[in-house]
Order: sequence, then structure tokens, then C-alpha cells
Amino acid sequence: MIASTELGTIAVSTEAIAQIVGQAAAESYGVVALAGRGRFSRLFPWGIKKGVDVERREDGLAIELRIVVEHGLKLAEVAATVRSRVQYELERMIGVPAAALEVHIDGVRSS
Amino acid sequence: MELEAVRHLTRCALQNLEAHRRRIDDLNVYPVPDGDTGTNLTLTLRSIVEALETSTAESSEAVAKDVTRAALMGARGNSGVIFSQIVRGFVDVLGQTNDVSTPRLRRAFRGASDAAYRAVKRPVEGTMLTVIREMAEEGERKENRRLPAPTFLGTVLARGEDALARTPEMLDVLRNAGVVDAGGAGLVEIARGLVYGASGEPLPEVPVESEALSIDAIHLELSEYRYCTVFVVEGESLDQAALESTLEQMGDSLLVVGDESALKVHVHTDDPGAALSAATLLGVVDGVEIANMHHQTAQREDRLLESAGAPLPTLETGLVAVCPGRGNRRLFESMGATRVIEGGQSMNPSAAEIIAAIDAVPSPEVIVLPNNSNVILTAEQAALHALKAVRVVPSRSVQAGLAAMGRYVSTNTPEQNEQDMLDGLASISTGEITIASRDVELDGVQIRKGDFLGLVDETAVSAAPDMSTVVEQVVARVLEGEREWLAILTGEGAPSLDGLVAAIEREHPGISIEIHHGGQPHYPLLFVAE
Repeated sequence: MIASTELGTIAVSTEAIAQIVGQAAAESYGVVALAGRGRFSRLFPWGIKKGVDVERREDGLAIELRIVVEHGLKLAEVAATVRSRVQYELERMIGVPAAALEVHIDGVRSS
Repeated sequence: MELEAVRHLTRCALQNLEAHRRRIDDLNVYPVPDGDTGTNLTLTLRSIVEALETSTAESSEAVAKDVTRAALMGARGNSGVIFSQIVRGFVDVLGQTNDVSTPRLRRAFRGASDAAYRAVKRPVEGTMLTVIREMAEEGERKENRRLPAPTFLGTVLARGEDALARTPEMLDVLRNAGVVDAGGAGLVEIARGLVYGASGEPLPEVPVESEALSIDAIHLELSEYRYCTVFVVEGESLDQAALESTLEQMGDSLLVVGDESALKVHVHTDDPGAALSAATLLGVVDGVEIANMHHQTAQREDRLLESAGAPLPTLETGLVAVCPGRGNRRLFESMGATRVIEGGQSMNPSAAEIIAAIDAVPSPEVIVLPNNSNVILTAEQAALHALKAVRVVPSRSVQAGLAAMGRYVSTNTPEQNEQDMLDGLASISTGEITIASRDVELDGVQIRKGDFLGLVDETAVSAAPDMSTVVEQVVARVLEGEREWLAILTGEGAPSLDGLVAAIEREHPGISIEIHHGGQPHYPLLFVAE
């Protein structure tokens, strides 16, 4: 993600975008974990990007998010909230929403 | 809880919430400023009221079940989902008996707050969550414990209002927008409706609002008419106002949108034919959809009943883990373990405990992570006697178990998971620091009672009275070979790790290190590298 200004360019790394996305998802209600195939660092602030896959495509960012949701919540509503919140945060923080944003519910946790 | 009383209370709550719906919609700036919190909460609460109208529940427990289910199925939007969870926690407690005394209410508020917090990984304060938590805390204050129920509820409500007023101090987006949290405001109005309903006082007056709900919301409104009718009229210089006034007399939830050449019509009516005839006088009618709403409602009820007993469709492989320490438990849970049994080195769980956990997992096949070499046999015993297909992935320590856990995907098949997790175990090296309980020689290392003892892959490598020496040697051994990742689990008696982490980063640039609080007894530090 690169923006040009008169003073020079501003680059936002894929890593940073993944962190924004992971953060937004982790704060969304109903999301008890970010899933995915990484090691368990994916679950914690400095490793939160693990449940997030960011790909730069010609038409913009394509993001895949894997989440685990608390049992007993309406999954469709939780996923919808995650989507809108992630898009909102991307728009707010880097100025562009994702061109594609897939939310996978990888699991349901019962506590 | 008695059905009649609950009906009355939820109606009062809905009435008060509806009166504030528009105001709450206008507050909405978090998590996304889309102005629908009031509407979503209203629709969620309305589905509870509707379910209670048709409920035939006789016992307190059955009422609670109906309420919980209606809240789940009717949940709309983020605030609706949170509210459904609050309702669930609340009626879980009150449903147990018919008694609604102060002590039970106190526990119900606690249950509501706990349930709400359980469902989010990183709770954001300054939201509905804060409001319900503070209400629960107020209920638990010593001086409120003996209050009669109506006074108690009033006190809890006042604290809710107070917490709501402080939400802008907790959340910057609220302060910047100069508003309180919308979801929290909704929750307070719902609670106010309940409290006034319970005391029999009339609800406080609020200005009447007449604004119509949005098109999506309209679909969910109760209608006395039978058919939801949608169609498009195409023609020339169509008169929108005239069509509107004709259709208005035939039903409700009317919506006519479009322009002179095409109008889209949505109306709930008992006579779709008449509506269509009126439209054909103006132009060509197309895209007709007529749905029997009474039938839809019945179908929805059926779905509700079906979904109640069925297992979770997304869970292909369940996972039961044994581990010591609250931190480790949370780690395993947040990584998707379906059940965690407390246990480990000095407190091995019984096969019966493991079988009970296996039975409680809502999936036909289960993987067990024993996470201790002494528990592997017990786990295998449990696997033999359980009624489900069980695979034991023989993790010999908590830290090994966590590495295996990182490969677990609940939606994969049990075979796939078992293979992936075994691969995980094969590619790691583990270390642990403990305190020697007697003088002994182990693997060629002289150990004195009280020494710190370091083991790598369960072999003693170092013992000394000074912990840092032992830690250094263990870490060096664990990181032998080409390791790119090191995790440290801190237990009881763990030292500060700043120096250690800096030293590792110097010697092994490029390695990624993470530290988690495991809370296990007897092992100040556990290591795993991959």
C-alpha cells in the first residue's frame, strides 16, 4: 500500500495491514480467537496476524480472515459485524477498504 | 420466572426501548457509525416478546429456554448479539427456580456480565459490556445485598446510568463524537423498562417518535396481514403518491420507491390481487413475489426446534486437553480446545474425568492432548472406553501440546488433524526449568535438593543454585539446529525475562520469541522451539 505526497511516499506494509485487520477482528464481539494454521502466536497481540491473510492484487487488497466464535451466538451476525468493522478500520486508518474480504468461521467454542 | 410475569416485563422493556429507538440510533458511532443500534436492539427484543406471546412454557426453566432461544435467533447486528448473550446469562440464573429475590437477581446480573464477556477475545470498555459489568458489580456491593428486590433493581439501574454517562471517558471515539455509547444506552433503557414494569410504576414519558423503520426492519415487524407482496410497475409518468394512497388502504408496511418509469412496491396485505390490480391500471407489473408470512413464521419456529438439539455443524473434530494453570487453560481455550481438564505433573486426571470431557464435546470424533507423559496412558484408557472415536495425540508436556495445538483446525477431519498434530510434535524441541526435590544423579548431571534443574526433551542437562545459569544452558540446547521460533510459558516463581530475551535475540537474530503466562505450578519456565 503506497501513497504519494509532495514530501515523498508513504508505504504501509502487508504486515501492518494484517495487524490492523487482526486487531479489529479481535475486538469484534463474538470473536474468541483468530484461527488459522500458524503457531499459537497467532492468538496474541504481537502475533495476531496469524489468522489473517493479506494479499495485494491489482484491484486492491484481498483479505482472508479466520475466526473462532463463541457458541450460542448468531454466526451470520457476528461475521457481518467483523466484516463491517474491518472495512471501517481499514478505511479509517489507511484510507482504502479491502477489495475482497472473506471471513471464515473456523470453529465454534463452547465455554 | 413465570411466563405471565416475564411477558409483562419484556413488553415493558420493549415499550421503553422503542420510545428511545431513534435517539439511540443517532448515538451510534462505535464500532461502526451506521446508526442502527436502537433499531437492532428493538428488533432483537421484539423477537423475544413475540416468542413469549406464543410460548406455552410452564416451568421456569422452559421460559428461560424460550427466551434464550428467541434472543439467539432474533439477534440483529452487533448490539443485538451482545444483548442476546446478556439475556442468556441473565435467564440462565433466573430460570433455575421461581424465586426472584435479591440474591438471585444479584447472581443473574453477574451471570449476564460473565456471559457477555466470555464471548469476546478482547473486550472493549466504554460499551454495553461496561454497563452490564458495572451493574453486576453494584449488585454485589455489601450494602446492597439486603435491599428488597425493587429497591435493589433501582440501585443497579442507577449504576448502569452512571456507567453509561462515563463511557465517553473510556472510549475515544465516543468522546470525539460527544456521545455516550449507543448499545449501553439501549441496555439502560431496556433495564429501565424492566425495573418500572416490576414495580408497577408507569414508564417515564418520552417524546413520541413517528419515523418509519428502514426497509429491512419493516420485514421483521409484526403484521396483522397475511401476505408480504412485492412487485415492480413499469410505465410512463407513474404517479407514486396516487399509488401509495390506494395501497395504503389495503394493508401496512407500505413502501413505494422509484421514479416515473418504474416503481418498486412492498406491502403487507390480505389481498395481493387487489394491490396488483391497482398497479396494472398504471403500467406493466413485473417481478411479483408473494409470501405467506404466517407460513414463514411457522417455518421459522420449526427451524428453531430443529436447531435446538442438533450438534454444531461446524465442529468436525472436538479437542480435549489436559493442562495445569489458569493461563495455560486460557491459551488452549483461545486456540480452540473444546474442553480443558485441569491436571498435570502432580495432579493426574482420572480416565473417568477424561471420558466425561469427551462425552461433553459436541462432535462425533475427538482428539485428546494429554500434555504430560504420566497422563498419556490414562488418556489411552479413556479412549478405549469412550463411546466416541477418540485419537490420543501423545503430547508429553504442556508446551509440546501447545505446539501441536497450533496445527489443530476444528473443521478438518480427525485423520487430518491427528496427522498434522503428530507432525507438529515431531518438529519441536522442549525445555523446562524446575526445582529439584532431592539429591540425585540424573543423566550424568549431579543435582542437589533445592537446585534449579533444567531438562531438554525430558533429559536433565543442567543443575545449579542459580536459575539464570540453568536457563541459559537449557535455552542454548533447545535452540540447537535451525530453530526459528521460541515460546516461553511462565509459571509460578518465574523470573523477569527481559535480559534473557535480549540475549537470545543477540545470539539468534531472526528468531521470533513469544512469552505467555501459563501459571503452572512447579515449573517456573517452560520452553518450546520449532
